[in-house]
Amino acid sequence: MNFREILKVTTFADRILFSVLTLLSLLCLIFIRSLIPASDSVEIAVDGKLEYVLSLTEEKTVAVQGLHGTTFVEIRDHRVRVTESPCQNKLCIQQGWVVHGIIACLPNKVVITIGKTGEKGSAPDAVTE
Amino acid sequence: MNTIVTITVVTATENAADRAIENAFLKIEDIEKKVNFHSPASDIALINKSAGIAEVKVSPDTITLLDNALFVSEKTQGAFDITIGPVTRLYNFFTQQKPEDLTLNNTLPLVNYRDVLIDKNNSTAYLRNRGMLIDPGGIAKGYAADRAVEILRQQGIVSGIVAIAGDIRAFGMKPDGKPWKVGIRNPRAKGTEDDIMATTELTNAAISTSGDYERFFISNGKRYHHILSPKTGRPADRCRSVTVIAPEGYLADSFSTGIFILGPEKGIKLLETLGYHGVIVDSEGKIHMTPDLRGKIEFQRNS
Repeated sequence: MNFREILKVTTFADRILFSVLTLLSLLCLIFIRSLIPASDSVEIAVDGKLEYVLSLTEEKTVAVQGLHGTTFVEIRDHRVRVTESPCQNKLCIQQGWVVHGIIACLPNKVVITIGKTGEKGSAPDAVTE
Repeated sequence: MNTIVTITVVTATENAADRAIENAFLKIEDIEKKVNFHSPASDIALINKSAGIAEVKVSPDTITLLDNALFVSEKTQGAFDITIGPVTRLYNFFTQQKPEDLTLNNTLPLVNYRDVLIDKNNSTAYLRNRGMLIDPGGIAKGYAADRAVEILRQQGIVSGIVAIAGDIRAFGMKPDGKPWKVGIRNPRAKGTEDDIMATTELTNAAISTSGDYERFFISNGKRYHHILSPKTGRPADRCRSVTVIAPEGYLADSFSTGIFILGPEKGIKLLETLGYHGVIVDSEGKIHMTPDLRGKIEFQRNS
């Protein structure tokens, strides 16, 4: 079905609806991005345990020891990417540069959280027990 | 007290902070010496030794502590009772020793806070019956935190937090203008990941937790822990942990123990009547809390 046929079979209302839905989904994308608080922390956890807390402002490559080998994480120009990973499918590498969000290498149990909120994750001042 | 004490204060200079903290520590040590159940020279030991014989003159700090404890006993209808000492002594959580029913039944009549007589004017205390023992373990740390905060404030400190083990008292705001953040221990934590069950903000108030995981042993599948019911002499088994937020440390400390014994339903009701806040993990792991705490407490996902 090409574009002209689509125009023929849809009514004006259909087209309005379609535009509204498209617009709405775009707005949602923007909205969700703003919901993830922008902060410059990079947290790397291995098998659920927090191993590194770094800053997006530093330029460095970290060799993270995962369950099956070393995952290389590079921080540069306020972005993060995985450059090398011992896993099979290399999905983490394919994800490329990430400004904020999560890069996860599940086989190697390495999870990188970029721009995690400093407020909720911060340690308490004291613990009652 | 054989526990870790941490004091954090906010001041303009490090010198001022050091001096204030030093004095607060001295006060805590001083109270420790007066009310230590195990030290033979303490006020408490003197009162215990003279039980059924004579009244003893002791320090005003000790009298205030006893007076506070009796107030909480009244409010909890005896669920919190510092005269639990003779029963406490029948347990040893290191050697896994617990009393026989007969021994326990012979000991229980000695437990009754109404047999503690104090005279505030003359600063004397008297235990009515021979063999009675005061064990201030359920209130001393909270009380010491109160006195430490008092010392800090007298020295012009406007903001700080005193934690004597898990008994915490906070005042003022942190330098970033926010209240102090306190974590509540998960009573069945599997590791460091799920160690903290929830966090809440605290200022000008105290928070304490009583849990069945602090001192315990397991015998025949049953958990024997240190929070003993004054009525039965056995470990109270309706809760895993009770956290209380109250205006003062001694209140949070002793009510968390008393409410652990009362159980979740009566406990929450009592907290509401008193205007305090609390979180209770019951014996099945279900969480109960005072309604006004909703939205003010943040539960961790992994616990």
